[in-house]
Amino acid sequence: MKATHSPTIASAFEDIKSRAIAHWQEVFDSGQPVILVGTATCGRAAGALDVLETIQTELEKLGVDCPVFEVGCLGHCYAEPLVVISKPGYPPICYGYVNTVIAERLVREFIAGDNPCLEFVLGALEENDLIPSFADFPRAVYEKKVVLRNCGHIDPTDIEHYIANDGYSGLATALQTSPEEIITEIKDSGLRGRGGAGFSTGEKWEKCRDTRGRPKYVICNADEGDPGAFMDRAILESDPHSVIEGIIIAAYAIGARYGYIYVRAEYPLAVERVRIALRQARKLNLLGRHILESDFSFDIRLFEGSGAFVCGEETALIASLEGQAGMPRYRPPYPPSSGLYGKPTVVNNVKTLASVPPIMVNGAGWFNDIGSGESRGTAVFALAGKIVNTGLVEVPMGTTLRQVIFDVGSGIPDGKRFKAVQIGGPSGGCLPESALDLPVDFDSLTGAGAMMGSGGMVVLDEDDCMVEIARYFLEFTQRESCGKCTFCRLGTKQMLTLLNDITQGKGTQADLDTLKTLAEDIKAGSLCGLGKTAPNPVLTTLRYFEDEYHAHITEGCCPALMCQQLIAYYILPDKCERSCDACVGTCTVEAISSNKRRIKVIDQEKCVKCNTCLTACPPQYNAVIKLSPPSEVPAAEK
Amino acid sequence: MTPKAEAVTQDSKDEEAINRQETRLALKRFGRKRWNLIPILQKVQARLGYLPREAMVEIAAYLGIPEIDVYGVVTFYNQFRLNPPGKHSIRVCLGTACHMKGGYITLDAWKRRLDINSGETTADREFDLDTVACVGCCTMAPVTVVDNQPEGKVEPTKVDGILLAFELVREAEKKEAKQ
Amino acid sequence: MKTISLKIDGKQITAREGDNLLWVALDNGIYIPNLCAIRDKPEPMAACRLCFVEMSGQTQPVTACTETVTEGMEVNTRGTEALRLARRGFELLMASNRVDCAHCVRSGSCELQKIAHHLGTKLKSKRLRELRRDLPVDNSHPQIRYDPNRCVLCGRCVWVCQEHLKTGALGFAYRGFERVVTTFKDEPLATTRCDQCLKCVEVCPTGALLPKEKARAEARLRA
Repeated sequence: MKATHSPTIASAFEDIKSRAIAHWQEVFDSGQPVILVGTATCGRAAGALDVLETIQTELEKLGVDCPVFEVGCLGHCYAEPLVVISKPGYPPICYGYVNTVIAERLVREFIAGDNPCLEFVLGALEENDLIPSFADFPRAVYEKKVVLRNCGHIDPTDIEHYIANDGYSGLATALQTSPEEIITEIKDSGLRGRGGAGFSTGEKWEKCRDTRGRPKYVICNADEGDPGAFMDRAILESDPHSVIEGIIIAAYAIGARYGYIYVRAEYPLAVERVRIALRQARKLNLLGRHILESDFSFDIRLFEGSGAFVCGEETALIASLEGQAGMPRYRPPYPPSSGLYGKPTVVNNVKTLASVPPIMVNGAGWFNDIGSGESRGTAVFALAGKIVNTGLVEVPMGTTLRQVIFDVGSGIPDGKRFKAVQIGGPSGGCLPESALDLPVDFDSLTGAGAMMGSGGMVVLDEDDCMVEIARYFLEFTQRESCGKCTFCRLGTKQMLTLLNDITQGKGTQADLDTLKTLAEDIKAGSLCGLGKTAPNPVLTTLRYFEDEYHAHITEGCCPALMCQQLIAYYILPDKCERSCDACVGTCTVEAISSNKRRIKVIDQEKCVKCNTCLTACPPQYNAVIKLSPPSEVPAAEK
Repeated sequence: MTPKAEAVTQDSKDEEAINRQETRLALKRFGRKRWNLIPILQKVQARLGYLPREAMVEIAAYLGIPEIDVYGVVTFYNQFRLNPPGKHSIRVCLGTACHMKGGYITLDAWKRRLDINSGETTADREFDLDTVACVGCCTMAPVTVVDNQPEGKVEPTKVDGILLAFELVREAEKKEAKQ
Repeated sequence: MKTISLKIDGKQITAREGDNLLWVALDNGIYIPNLCAIRDKPEPMAACRLCFVEMSGQTQPVTACTETVTEGMEVNTRGTEALRLARRGFELLMASNRVDCAHCVRSGSCELQKIAHHLGTKLKSKRLRELRRDLPVDNSHPQIRYDPNRCVLCGRCVWVCQEHLKTGALGFAYRGFERVVTTFKDEPLATTRCDQCLKCVEVCPTGALLPKEKARAEARLRA
């Protein structure tokens, strides 16, 4: 991209950048060790704050001077809490499953001593001759970090860390370029919206720029409501400046004066880190009046969403920003023509915006070289459910589902069989084994009945009931429906009622037919995207797993032994080790007792099916089993 | 009116006056613009723990919009509460990963132990129980957020453990109070 | 404004370019079922999902209330697909509505009856589950009786009360299936700022909002 050299902008940024680099080198190239602790929400849930405290106390006790930074998410969430130690003479080493005991040892033996405690190592961050690095992991073959480039490597509350790693260079370049050229660049890169629909980002910006009306707005949609998706949270917590920089570049390209970041209030840590980041950006004149001494002025306000899934729909999000209930309205007009307060508005997803700065730095061609077909760049996925390596992954578009699940995610734990993968949350669908060779991109997944959605990927194994998962999503969309239009408000409720009956063994063949036609009609008749996609989980499970529906209806049986009404817990008398009391002791409702022969028996009337006895029964006995239908429980026990 | 009933009325009148006062203080930071409605509601709820009738009346008057309009927005969003919360908040995550790993069983356990339904507060105002769509800690499923702190892998036995910890703290406090 | 011509159900019609298709049809004596459409409202609600029509150049039925007329447009209000969707929408509405025509004074002038007649369907379908909410009837007001169980959430009363007349007694509250037309804190209508203009009763297409004298007649009907 041609940048018209502007001495003032360039030198203003050069000042900031050289200071940041000096600050970074002072810490990381000073010959002293540095400790990074991953304290994003997932790390915290695993106890990262206790680990952090232990490290700090221990350092103090030993009188060792060693900087400790809280960083974001490295993506290896299965091994949280994660600690990275960079010590001269060693490559930066990442430790996994760190608890307070391990943390104490790391400080005593590695920081104060010279033992890198290899037994706790997850991998080195750089290739070396000493320790296996992440590059040797099978997932490294597929991973390509664009959006997640800084996550887990920098302190998200220190803007200089970001700047020292090429941060805001994209903005400095952009400000020396004409807005039209930036839009062309983004168009050439092939970047499409990462929120789900996959509309061309460059075209959206162009439409907004060309529409008359002032002021114009940029909104970053971080109302990540898909249950099972956490990419946006991780990015905002780990690298908020990459999103902010993307917003500023977008604003400059379309000629906006104000911008908003709409974050879910359920993400308090993301809210806090964005707030800090905005303050720091203003202080360095990267936001506010005359950014980097240019003619461009722009500022961003943080808006906390109040918990309504439908606000992820752009017109509902706009209504919410205007102080209204988040009800979608009919489109067109689309926001680039008439958005916030009726003014031209661009609404972009977190990942879309975070992709913009690297495009500015590396060029459209670089981004366009990643990916396949009409889907360029990378896809970020949150891997969760029945998969070994849960966490955050970023792979080039076009990587197959099989590669993501079995190579990057290392497959299904506990020797279980893969059954389906749920992609795209409540708007997406469940794809079976036969679909595993589909490439992950915008168009292939839609063809199979799912959609990329925002990128949640929940893996399901043989123990998961496909009717139940469909019911779960319908319950979700039904609860989150705004209630404006008939099909979504009443149609999803009807579908949920039918699915409730089926999972309780009360469904009929006629119900199944009604379910099918309702699903098609809701898809065709609803007002907004939420309603139009709400039947997808039902349609895909019906398409690929209809036999499970029949088992529920005709046999009252849940083949996956999941639907609570259709199962019973039973203790196999010949497997029960009679002197063991594990199940009796753990039963939360005192439903288990010993019979005369000291064999344990479950009182089916009292049992609440909480699964505790099954987990408590020692694996060498495995005496507790689930049976479906409940009538399978031998008469003797009843 | 019995003396006791009179005292209760007096208490609730006092509480109402305090709520009004607090709401007015919170309103000072905001312009009288409709688009401030949601941030205002969030601020007031942060101060009072919930949105009592009198707070909504004050807010409507301040913004010059009908009270029903404020009520419509309050009842639309999951975040806003119409009833006072408990001392400790229990939020059971029912995201996909949590659900498939038994989040609904965990929720049952909380309901059983606290003897309330989701959306309710215990009679002693110690706990309130609710569900949340997803807190984004899917890898730690099933998750329960206890007083804003996400706890991973919360199965029925851990529910008992968490409650026991609260119980121990309460007893220690009682002991301290006695001394 | 330019005058254009279009065809609805084969009938040649002239209209002003950019006019709303639903109103053009209705003004020319072609009925399309609708509940939430309000002529003075600049943006269509598009909520009731009953006004489906089929149009040249469109593979799927569209709602007439969100379309503007253009030169040469050909519209079919009786297409199979459009009618199927409209029937399904109506069926859904009625499955959650208290149908009690024998005891309702709106019977005869009720728009739900008119729509059922037009679509050739019964008021109650057997395929769907009956999902009623059994909300309390508000009888507090001296002039109005409000039965939320007969409400179809078309929003006409809310529009006249809030946006048109700026009274602000009635409004929408709650979300999804729980969504309801109600008052502040669900308090009795008599205690609100209602100025008794009775416009809400006038625009209500069903027996949800009734003037008291009629409501009394209804009570007699019941007895």
